[in-house]
Amino acid sequence: MDEIIKTENLTKHYGNVHAVEGVSLNVKKGEIYGFLGLNGAGKTTTIRMLLGMIRPFSGISFIYSKRVDAGSYDLWKNVGYLVEVPYSYPELTVRENLEIIRRLRHISDAKSVDAIIDKLRLLPYQERRAGHLSLGNAQRLGLAKALMHNPDILILDEPANGLDPVGIVEIRELLRNLAFNNGVTIFISSHILGEISKFATRIGIIHEGRLIQEVNTNQLDKLCRKRLLLNAVDKKAVIAILVKNGYSVDFIDDNTLEIKSDRAINHPEEIATMLVHAGLPPTLLKVEEEDLESYFLRTISTDRGAK
Amino acid sequence: MKSISAALWSEILKVRRSKIFWITILVFLFIPFMMGLLMFIQKYPEIASKLGMIGTKASMLRFGKADWLTYLGLLTQTVAGIGLIGFGFVTSWVFGREYSDHTAKDMLALPVSRSLIVLSKFIVVAIWCILLTFIFFVFGLIIGGMIHISGWSYVMALHYAYRFTATSMLTILLCTPVGFFASYGRGYLPPVGFVIFTLIVAQFSGLVGLGPYFPWAIPGLYSVAGSAGNSQLAVVSYIILFLISVLGLIGTVAWWRFADQY
Repeated sequence: MDEIIKTENLTKHYGNVHAVEGVSLNVKKGEIYGFLGLNGAGKTTTIRMLLGMIRPFSGISFIYSKRVDAGSYDLWKNVGYLVEVPYSYPELTVRENLEIIRRLRHISDAKSVDAIIDKLRLLPYQERRAGHLSLGNAQRLGLAKALMHNPDILILDEPANGLDPVGIVEIRELLRNLAFNNGVTIFISSHILGEISKFATRIGIIHEGRLIQEVNTNQLDKLCRKRLLLNAVDKKAVIAILVKNGYSVDFIDDNTLEIKSDRAINHPEEIATMLVHAGLPPTLLKVEEEDLESYFLRTISTDRGAK
Repeated sequence: MKSISAALWSEILKVRRSKIFWITILVFLFIPFMMGLLMFIQKYPEIASKLGMIGTKASMLRFGKADWLTYLGLLTQTVAGIGLIGFGFVTSWVFGREYSDHTAKDMLALPVSRSLIVLSKFIVVAIWCILLTFIFFVFGLIIGGMIHISGWSYVMALHYAYRFTATSMLTILLCTPVGFFASYGRGYLPPVGFVIFTLIVAQFSGLVGLGPYFPWAIPGLYSVAGSAGNSQLAVVSYIILFLISVLGLIGTVAWWRFADQY
């Protein structure tokens, strides 16, 4: 029962297009699983299959060990979801849109609409027609619909779309609080690793329909490459002395020298000492860590190369 | 029970808040008004001509005497045609808007079965169409009374109220395939296209004598059958119409339940 969301070999083809190909993943209770991929990588198709909206070509998905199927509507009692851009009935107010969801989700407490309006800071807009909302507030309304019934599972497709930086932080904190303090299991897709890594506990990278890597967020640091950047007045002499001492040196675009060996990265002071003693003091000496986006792009380009 | 009442409540709210609901009411008020105008011209051609109203063209229409018998017959025939368009349009909106407004996806993973959602939509379509029918007939009677059409009798009015209601019901039953095409085509255009197509084929089927077997021609034929028992319709006609209606309902439910939903 620890596995709340599970997929086995989930596959979806549209003609010759392999939208999703053999995706197997599982999400444990209280986990925030970041589902990362470029646009068109297969994130939304996977989410739609998880929610029983489209039928897999092959493979199965389970929620609470129950097989997902369009007819098993009881499954959705404890699931909140948001797929792609959230839309609401434009001629109805924010409150009326939420009231519809409250009734369809059989929430007997009428005050739950007030509570969620308050939680998502929609109070000033509650009587505004949904068609007149800004993109950010429409997104909040979508999230309000997904969260109103206090679900145990949240399946969210790019929920930060359209939100301003303050909104992004608010939603991140809200989701983090739900997962860590209320044990809510969250499956969340994104195309920005930097954003998702701030609160996901585990990340799965999907590329061209295939799940190419799963990694715990606390291991990301280890996976991101480090390098030592170096510059000096007499670069040729510096390269000669470094090579003589067993280092492999490369030039990078702005004429800076780059050393990738662990020895250099872990002990840059040895290089500094060596160069100073040789009368070639460095003008730049810096250990730089690859950022998350570079890591993500490198991962998917490696996958492309492997194919 | 909880699910169907929740689904019905939300469908009724959507309809109440829509502009299209009020527009259809206006249209169904306007048509009896036009019928009344025709009767008025028939009854008082010289006044109409003096007022510069339609004049020659209207008097050329020659739909019989300006009495209640003709007028109620005209209303009943009109509801068959206007119903096919109007009720078809209502159904196109109720189903198609969920796709045009991209709101269908919010109804797909709820603790309410999709079949109930579809059913509640058809119930709301039926309520809406019955309301339009009622408005059409009552306003038609009021207009008729206002222009003092001759030959009124309660018995005749009751008879026509029955025929009018039956014609409308037969037309409403034909809404289910429209719901299917709105869902299949994910919007308004395919079902509206379908309605226009059925209207054209209904005319054609009438010309070649196949009207009694073409569902969309049946309400029209029923409405002109009159009281003399000269109906072209056979029992099989009604069976065909009911079958199409049931097929439309099953098709729509099956589409929501089994087809991929984007």
